[in-house]
Amino acid sequence: MKRAFFIIAGMILWAFSAGCGPDPAEEKSATPPAESAPTTPAVSPTPRAYPVTARTRKTYQFYCAQCHGAEGHGNGINAPYLTVPPRDHTKADYLETRSDAHLFTAIQKGGLAVGRAPCMPSWEHTLDESTTHSLVSYIRELCRCEAL
Amino acid sequence: MKIPKLCLLTGAFLLIAVTGSAGALASPALVKEKQCHTCHRFASGPAEKEQSAPDLFFAGDKFQKKWLENFLQHPETIRLTGHTRDPGFLKGTPHTGLHPVLNPEEARQMTDYLMSLKTLKESPPLNLPALSKGKRVRVKILFERDYSCIACHQSYNLTRQPRGGVSGPSLIDAGNRLRPEWVYQWLKNPKAFVEQGRMPLYHFDEETLKRLTQYIMFHKKDDPGK
Repeated sequence: MKRAFFIIAGMILWAFSAGCGPDPAEEKSATPPAESAPTTPAVSPTPRAYPVTARTRKTYQFYCAQCHGAEGHGNGINAPYLTVPPRDHTKADYLETRSDAHLFTAIQKGGLAVGRAPCMPSWEHTLDESTTHSLVSYIRELCRCEAL
Repeated sequence: MKIPKLCLLTGAFLLIAVTGSAGALASPALVKEKQCHTCHRFASGPAEKEQSAPDLFFAGDKFQKKWLENFLQHPETIRLTGHTRDPGFLKGTPHTGLHPVLNPEEARQMTDYLMSLKTLKESPPLNLPALSKGKRVRVKILFERDYSCIACHQSYNLTRQPRGGVSGPSLIDAGNRLRPEWVYQWLKNPKAFVEQGRMPLYHFDEETLKRLTQYIMFHKKDDPGK
């Protein structure tokens, strides 16, 4: 009976936790993250309003590259250990099907918030909204794509 | 009678001034001899270029004495891809090698010194009981699913095998390595120890802080728990 409980618990846990990885375009980065600002509902920003700066790239290297790789190919040092590989930010096939608001929310609230893998954590208390918007712009730069 | 007292107070003042914090022991010659400052920071502030090993100015808050003394004699790799300041960190090829081995007397002396380095003004014992098996499963979901800790930290899976990312320190023996009071404070406010880390900041409530601390402390190589 006990054994059955743990087997079932294990399956449930696996179902919840497996799948770390992929999605949400995320960002973490390299620079002094601005402290989280109160999060308002994600509004689709125009990337051009939040240009990619040197600070954006540093921020990406500092936080995002751990999983997504220094060049955004989804091959960061954590990638081999995740059940689901981190998103390759250079691939337009998937990213053009996601809106900027979707990417923004994925970064701020984490993978689960956008129905993707739970390995992508929430950065809402680490990256302020402006930085997050600029990271969305950077992902657009990496994939050379815009939302359809 | 007054003169010796004055001398004593002056001596204590000088000791504090030299060591930087009230309870810290004077840095033993061993620290200089082993060139610990080359890789470790012993004070907050900008890191030197080569200081790509964990900070030690809060070692007394962070480590368990027994573990530390053993580690210095039998070093092991805790950060598989090196410290986050290591130039090879993002490539997974750390420049920093395995920690130098100290003999038992050196390890004892160094441990006494390191355990005196603290930044927390107060750190009352948490006295958290071990999690029951059922609660452990629930916190595991928080750890892996809700807060994504598994993406960067190795922990035990359900069959007690290491599982998880490697950019953060492994938690496999965290229950023997770390003090629960430090784990709790780190989760609550990591900026109390480092200005900027690569781990996301969280605003955990009190209950979650304690549960996650208990869960991390459950990770012991020599004790599978009940």
